[in-house]
Amino acid sequence: MRDFNELKTKIFNRAKEVGIEDAEIYYSQGRDLNIKVFQKEIDGYKLAEAEGLALRGKHSGEMGYSYTEKVDDTSVEFLVENLIENAKNIDREDKEEIFEGAKEYREVNNFNSSLEKIEEMEKINFVKNLEKESLNIDDRIKSIQDCVYGDDFSETIISNTKGLNLKDKSNLAYAYVGVVAKEGKDIQSGFAYKVTNDFSELNYKDIAKEAVEEAISMLGAKSIKSGKYPIVLRNNASADILQAFTSIFSAERVQKNLSLLKDKLHKKIVSEKITLTDDPFMEKGYASSAFDSEGVPTKEKNIIEKGVLKTYLHNLKTSSSDGIDSTGNASRSSYKSSIGISPTNMYIKPGDKKLDDLISGIEKGLIITDVQGLHAGLNPISGDFSLSAQGFLIEKGVTKYPVNQITISGNFLQMLSKVEEVGEDLRFALPSSAYIGSPSLVIENLDIAGE
Amino acid sequence: MLNKKIIEKVIEAALSSGGDFAEVFIEDKKGIGINMISGKIENIMSGRDYGIGIRIFKNFNSVYAYTNKSDELTLIETAKKASKALLASKDIKDIVINDTKYDNKHIIKINPNEIPTKKKIEAMKRAYLSAKEFDEIISQVTVNYQDYNQKIAIANSEGLYIEDERTRGRLAIGAVATKNGEMQSGSSAPGAHKGFELIEDLDIEWYGREAARIAKTMVNADYSPSGKMPVIINNGFGGVIFHEACGHGLEATSVAKGNSVFADKINQKVASEIVTAVDDGTLENEWGSSNIDDEGNPTQKNILIENGILKGYMIDKLNGRRMKMKATGSSRRQSYKYSPTSRMTNTYIANGESNFQDIISNTEKGLFAKYMGGGSVNPATGEFNFAVMEGYLVENGEVKKPVRGATLIGKGSDILKKIDMVGDNLSFGQGMCGSSSGSVPANVGQPTIRVSEITVGGRE
Repeated sequence: MRDFNELKTKIFNRAKEVGIEDAEIYYSQGRDLNIKVFQKEIDGYKLAEAEGLALRGKHSGEMGYSYTEKVDDTSVEFLVENLIENAKNIDREDKEEIFEGAKEYREVNNFNSSLEKIEEMEKINFVKNLEKESLNIDDRIKSIQDCVYGDDFSETIISNTKGLNLKDKSNLAYAYVGVVAKEGKDIQSGFAYKVTNDFSELNYKDIAKEAVEEAISMLGAKSIKSGKYPIVLRNNASADILQAFTSIFSAERVQKNLSLLKDKLHKKIVSEKITLTDDPFMEKGYASSAFDSEGVPTKEKNIIEKGVLKTYLHNLKTSSSDGIDSTGNASRSSYKSSIGISPTNMYIKPGDKKLDDLISGIEKGLIITDVQGLHAGLNPISGDFSLSAQGFLIEKGVTKYPVNQITISGNFLQMLSKVEEVGEDLRFALPSSAYIGSPSLVIENLDIAGE
Repeated sequence: MLNKKIIEKVIEAALSSGGDFAEVFIEDKKGIGINMISGKIENIMSGRDYGIGIRIFKNFNSVYAYTNKSDELTLIETAKKASKALLASKDIKDIVINDTKYDNKHIIKINPNEIPTKKKIEAMKRAYLSAKEFDEIISQVTVNYQDYNQKIAIANSEGLYIEDERTRGRLAIGAVATKNGEMQSGSSAPGAHKGFELIEDLDIEWYGREAARIAKTMVNADYSPSGKMPVIINNGFGGVIFHEACGHGLEATSVAKGNSVFADKINQKVASEIVTAVDDGTLENEWGSSNIDDEGNPTQKNILIENGILKGYMIDKLNGRRMKMKATGSSRRQSYKYSPTSRMTNTYIANGESNFQDIISNTEKGLFAKYMGGGSVNPATGEFNFAVMEGYLVENGEVKKPVRGATLIGKGSDILKKIDMVGDNLSFGQGMCGSSSGSVPANVGQPTIRVSEITVGGRE
């Protein structure tokens, strides 16, 4: 840390000398472990220690950025030169400012010290057991695609010449398995994962069971006739779709005419059954934080309340353009990116019905248990989506047989306008820079393409 | 890039716990990314990626470690820590590495690091204006520019020392058309393994107008019909169908562990006999090309499928051990942060004998996918999906009205057998391909092809 503070002082001093006012360092370092098992042996093992440092600062009235992964004295000149060259070429109208810090920040703890004490042998045994269990549950499971345990630790420091000094550290562990089931010529795959920063919460039996059940239950799947069907969108599929559409809530996208939510503030945009919350203080929320990437204190808020759009997500720049306070949603996915906007822990508030009750209310329809192709078959600008999907046919309130080789299509806002029931089973997608969750939803109908 | 004596010591340390192969990968990359919205420069980020990856094998098992530090002490510590993960017995070797020279196939004329940012922005402004002024229906235009120069060095315990330099650039234009409050988008994104000559030689206005034309066409289009039908997939980026539906299943990453529908099918018929498919990392200055792969093998032209018969896979060193087959110059990684594995470079279906017009006029009723979006595949089942960015109905041998929102789904092995016409107009499109060794630049390509039947997911 002494070295880091010395380097920081050097950078800030040099920045001042060359006419950079209000400079800020964003530094992150971490370690990463990843263990992959194949046929009882450690097939892949990854171990990393890495760091990176970004500088941003005002030069001739504009914000410039630069970064390096060579974090030492030899990079000082490179950082300031790049920053100045970049600042000189910015000509946007809205201005980015460096934040001097707030008086108070809430206490948020994303670091579990007990995880750092888990012996490596225990992790290796865990992932070996996960593979063994996945192969043992059902003899139609013929192979394992991926069987992985990983954990990582990261620490971020934001420090600027206006006096802001913030530090955040977090760790987490994850495990996942992908299984392949075969019966005759029929091949189906299943996947399950768990993310936690409490090692004792990782249960290989649960993960194996979920993946195996998913693969086995899809054996014998077939396509169905194209048409409009009432849909139960299971929690994981709904969370995945919501995650792919998060950019529509960004005030930056709205202000730049790139969001379908432009001019929709305070209007009813979806069914009143839908309340969408952004909660940066959620227990076990992997995007929980007391401050955002500009150092602004984070806030809990409803983005959609009973179907009405209450706010966009803002950083300092977009909020000042709209003449309001930042919502504390400035984000940087890493030191390589400039300040953007992202939700924290964002989820659709659960209702009170169990998944079985949602299914039993359907006369003839489908439950969608998985969607694929989210980065291609979905357009956040228009809201349109057409996704490869699988699930089960529902008849008279009971699931009949597995269905695949179909697509579900619609428009995101139109789909959420047709939500008739909201389940109690809130579930989160794999964490990225945000942590996005949804319960299962009953949708009046969606277009299904099949036979 | 690093003292060779130090590299030798690091390799020795990496083998200190019984590994049978060790490799050091050194990367030093400088690049810039510029974002423009509404003709204004929003953000510019430039910087330097720097790090060292150490990989060790023992039989079929591998260990990978990386660090940003390049001092001898840290590197040897990192190598030792990694070697311990193999949990094997001690085995000391003396390592001597020797320079390997080769002819650079991908000449860079203008180093983009030496071009002032202003010139890059001028090109972006031209792209912006050509898209914005295409039609008043165009409500927004975004332009992203990026270039980088990546220097790498690879050394291994077999005595190899080799360096390469990859310089790439790309201009991505996105246009949005708005009509009655509804928005649709179109894009074009040319790129190459070239210096700034890429931009100087590019018909920027054509690409700008093309993005705008797609957005305008789509905002005026009805939704695509659904169901099984013949689909004509245009040349260029249409090759994404082969990339997703079959290419991933031909990577040793999935073949070696038996997780691919193409495992154990060499010399068997897997496609219609008019299909020949190739992965070629040597194509001069193409987006997915490089002199050597990321474990130091020269890239090569790999015939994957010849007249419908499966001829080969794309193989990296580690999976090659499992498969008892030679590496094919296909091992790639996003950066030193990833252990390399078999990946595609420039993958294409070779020219056939039909011409474009014949394919259209021989189609009674179906879908013409003029531009494809991206897609994905599950290699275990071969099930793929991809989006059609610009589609048209074909009726009575003619291209009719445009349709939007179509997705194509199916199984790779089925689709290959259902290709019933292959055109003679091979061209390429550029994409970023994501997989276990990160996101790498990959060309997809094909002539116009017809698939006799695919499930089209639309809304009518």
